[in-house]
Amino acid sequence: MSEFKILEIKQAVFEKNDRQADQLRIDLKNEGIFLLNLMSSPGSGKTTTLTRTINLLKNELKIGVMEADIDSDVDAITIAKTGAKVIQLHTGGMCHLDAGMTKQGLAGLGVNELDLVILENVGNLVCPAEFDTGSSKNAMILSVPEGDDKPLKYPLMFQICDVLLINKIDVLSVFDFDIELCKARVLKLNPNIKIIPISARTGEGIPEFCDWVKEEVKNWKGVSHE
Amino acid sequence: MHELSVIIEVAKQVEAIAIENNITEVDSIVLQIGEISSMIPRYIEECYPAAVDRTMLEKTKLVIEIVKATANCDHCDQVFNIVDSEGHCPICQTKDWTLLTGKEFIIKEIIVC
Repeated sequence: MSEFKILEIKQAVFEKNDRQADQLRIDLKNEGIFLLNLMSSPGSGKTTTLTRTINLLKNELKIGVMEADIDSDVDAITIAKTGAKVIQLHTGGMCHLDAGMTKQGLAGLGVNELDLVILENVGNLVCPAEFDTGSSKNAMILSVPEGDDKPLKYPLMFQICDVLLINKIDVLSVFDFDIELCKARVLKLNPNIKIIPISARTGEGIPEFCDWVKEEVKNWKGVSHE
Repeated sequence: MHELSVIIEVAKQVEAIAIENNITEVDSIVLQIGEISSMIPRYIEECYPAAVDRTMLEKTKLVIEIVKATANCDHCDQVFNIVDSEGHCPICQTKDWTLLTGKEFIIKEIIVC
C-alpha cells in the first residue's frame, strides 16, 4: 500500500491570468498603446459602432482592431474597409479571450506605431466579464432590443466596464425600453461608469464616445506607469 | 460554458506544481468551487477527462468541494446564505449586503501517492 501525502496548494486558478493581464497592461503602458476591450451580446451593433468610431478617429489616432469570434471573418472584412489595421482571431469554440490570447493577438496584429487597439471580444455577456484581458479600459454595448433588464441579469459585465454605450436609440419608440430606469440600474451596480446613448445607424452619440476615447488615450499616454 | 478551457488551465497548473515538487503520480486534485462562481461543478466534472487525456494526470481523480455563498448584511450585520435566502437578508429583508464567500475557484490541494 502506498502512502498518500496531501500537498496544500490554495492557488486561485484565475490568478495566473490576472498576473498575465497586469503584466500586459504595464507593457502596453510603456509602449504608449491604449487597449480597449469592447464587449456585448451578439447583434448589439459592435461592428457598426466600431466602423463609425474608426472613421471619426482615424485622422487623429493610429488604430488597430482585433476581431475575436468563434468562427468566420465577416467582421474583419467590414472593419478592414475603414483602413484600420485588422486581425481576425478565432477562439476555436471558446467563449472569451484571456490575457494570453490577447497578447498573442497583439503580436500577430503588430502594434508598433499604433495609438489605439480595440479588441472586439466574443459576443457574450457572461464569460468575457470573468477574464481580464489586460486591457486599459473596458467598454460594453447594450442595445435597446435586448431590454433594460440586462443589468439585473448580467451584473458583473456592468460592474467591470468603464463606459456603456446604449445603442439603437433611434428605435426607442418601438420598444419597451426605459432608458432612465436602465441608467439607474447600471449606476447602482457601478457608480463610476460613463453612459453614452448612441445610434450606430444614424451616428448619434458617436462623437461623444470618440471624445471619451481620445481623452482616455491621452491620459494613458501621458501618465507614467505605476 | 467556459468550463473546458478552465479545467485545462487547472490541469496545466497542477502538472507544473507536480513537476516543481518532483511528483510523478497524483492520486487526486481537490478543487474548491464557490456556489455562485461562474463554474458549474457538473460541467467541470464532464470536461475533466478530456482535459487530462494523455497527460500525467490521466488517472488522477477529481474531487470538488462546494463553498457556500455567504454574505454580511450591511444593515443588521447578520451573516447569511444568499442562495438559501434568495438574495435577501433573512432578518431585515434588505438586499444590501457584502459578499463574504461563494465566488472561489481554487486548487485547494493535491493528494500524491
